[in-house]
Amino acid sequence: MKFTTLVPRPVAAVAALLVAAAAVVAGCSSATSSGTGSPGTGSSGSAPSGSSLTIADVAPFSGPDAALGPTYLASCYGATAAINAAGGVLGHQLTCKSVDTRGDPADAVPAVNQMFATTSSLALVIGCTSDEAASVVPVINSHQMAMFCMTGQSEFDSVHFPYFYRLVPPDLEESYAMVVIAQQLGYKRIALAFGNDIGSQTFIQPAIAAIKKAGMTLTTNQTLDLNASTFRTEAAAIIASHPDAIMTEALGSADPTLFAEIKQLNGGKMIPIVATSAAISPPFFKAAAAAVGASTFVANFHADNLVTETSGPAYTAFSAALLGQQGKVPGTTGNFTTYLSAPGGVHLYDGINLAALAMIMSKSTSPSVYGPDILTIGNGVSGAATCYSFAACAADLKAGKTIRYEGPGGPTSFDGFHDSTGIFQVDTYSADGTVNVTGNLTAAQLRALSG
Amino acid sequence: MTIFLASLGFGLVTASVLAVAAIGFTLQFSVTDVLNLAYGAVMIAGAFIAYVVNQAGLNVWVGLVAAVVACSVGSVLLNAGVYAPFQRRGASPITMVIVSLGMTLIIEFGTQAIAGGTSVSYTMAQGPTVGAGGLELSAVQLVVIGLSLLVMAATHVLLRYTKLGKAMRATAANRTLARNCGIRTSRVITVTWAVTGALCGLAGVIFAMDAGSFDATSTDLFLILILAAVFLGGPGQAYGAMLGAVVIGLATEVSAAYITPSYKYVAAFVALLIMLGVRPAGLLGARVGART
Repeated sequence: MKFTTLVPRPVAAVAALLVAAAAVVAGCSSATSSGTGSPGTGSSGSAPSGSSLTIADVAPFSGPDAALGPTYLASCYGATAAINAAGGVLGHQLTCKSVDTRGDPADAVPAVNQMFATTSSLALVIGCTSDEAASVVPVINSHQMAMFCMTGQSEFDSVHFPYFYRLVPPDLEESYAMVVIAQQLGYKRIALAFGNDIGSQTFIQPAIAAIKKAGMTLTTNQTLDLNASTFRTEAAAIIASHPDAIMTEALGSADPTLFAEIKQLNGGKMIPIVATSAAISPPFFKAAAAAVGASTFVANFHADNLVTETSGPAYTAFSAALLGQQGKVPGTTGNFTTYLSAPGGVHLYDGINLAALAMIMSKSTSPSVYGPDILTIGNGVSGAATCYSFAACAADLKAGKTIRYEGPGGPTSFDGFHDSTGIFQVDTYSADGTVNVTGNLTAAQLRALSG
Repeated sequence: MTIFLASLGFGLVTASVLAVAAIGFTLQFSVTDVLNLAYGAVMIAGAFIAYVVNQAGLNVWVGLVAAVVACSVGSVLLNAGVYAPFQRRGASPITMVIVSLGMTLIIEFGTQAIAGGTSVSYTMAQGPTVGAGGLELSAVQLVVIGLSLLVMAATHVLLRYTKLGKAMRATAANRTLARNCGIRTSRVITVTWAVTGALCGLAGVIFAMDAGSFDATSTDLFLILILAAVFLGGPGQAYGAMLGAVVIGLATEVSAAYITPSYKYVAAFVALLIMLGVRPAGLLGARVGART
């Protein structure tokens, strides 16, 4: 060791390297904005007229769940483009900003703190998946910032965060939905293969309970380490348990790798898959189809998904807004039309529209002021006129009408915890990645498996 | 018995990939004195280079060659541009580790910034599967095992029977003495970076082939397995790295057959700790005495 001979140049070089590394990490992990956002007056006060408002997509853009962030960003780009084309909100244009949580609470909290420190024009947060919701929702709530979250964690069923809104059902209902799909397809023996991330693990206990209640047999329950590169032993254990189907959510490279290894170890045959709605995304399809072959994958794949409209005025406006952003959204990949069915794509589009309309209705961009009007516009009041797009709803508001917004995610009905849970449909893929709806699940079917 | 044989087969494949990576890593460490933690990041960069070639419509094996060449050149540049200047200034080993950590972040997140955060797969056929008594291996996995054996044999020939290999061993044992004996150690070190960089690229591509699907952070855990294999065998010991890779590869997969797979890496590292408790210098470290 010769510290005395270590002249400043290499020290400076080390510092430069680390700073460069930090910059790259920060670039990947925290925030990048789109559009021409300019600072406003702060998150809890109304922004000055003419300034831009920022919608932050707080979600994983890297790590195993990296497909989620771009899906929500596509929704944000589509919604804000349509809103801006219709004149914006109270004289403000909207922009989108990505905040990478890496799907890890330890990375998410600093990223969110940095977001608040650097985004004075923030008007709404979207994303907040189960990976990071438990850690970031209290932080966002303490900043009095409205958020539409994509978490299904049951703690949000009973803990009240005034600025928290959710258009997706609890994870336990999605677990029931997967079991109902398995029932409908005639499967009796079920293997579970879920990732070791928070968002995936929440499905397991409700699924096990529902499988038991449905009279099915749980053959094996495998936890997949999302950092591992192979799952051969897990695949062998699944095959050895002779399941009729595998229920799974293990995003990133985990599920595609597992599928490939099952196919190899099972004499070239796939075991049917029943996946969560998270599997309805272009990156997942692309990776899974590449791993086992598109025809094999689509022949063996079903997933639950929230019911979304596929026609009508709300869908027409939504599809036009979203497809207009094809090729413009950073991080999106694969068949862009799949985003029309992705749960985050549809319901966060609705969330952004609800918030934007609430701002107009309350004549404020402050979440503490416009928040209650999200409920009013979403649930509707007696005599409210139903409208299906931001442009139509904004025109009605300007005409002095009371409105109820009904987007492509269907009608909303917020409860006391600001949860509005829809019902489920059954999705499959075509070989080109197009999503097909093959059935619907009723609330009664889900209730039969609960408790 | 069937599950044991199956896990034995899985372990052989894992060990094969691990062995190629560990041999390169330990040779690099022993000759250059750099514990290059950016090795895993260079591996995955190589895997993505092969992916780009593959997506351009070329065979993935052509991509493998491209990755080997690119990682070889990249490693030489990494040393010349980053590590060597620090070493010339007398940077301490811990400083070099920190520098290599910085390079890990730069390469890994740089790759992610370019390639995106989602996982990708090569367009390739796995070929027919051959099996016996529960042991099932695809043609690609057999090729991976074959490549690994080839690398092991080539390393043996290089170190034992070539002038370069002897110069590498001499440089690793005592760089000053080697220089005084007329060995051009700086050239040996540069060639070592080229050779180990090539092994790194090869390891990256066969890692990605074996995994089936990979992203920019896929080697984060694998780097720890490489370190485990290297230190189990004895740091700087090429043959030790081969042995360590086989032990770690088999321990992870075979243990997973009998306990929950969630703990397969735990089992491997418990085995490592016990082994190092008995033989602190590694499996071959005490026996050989000096670095290979």
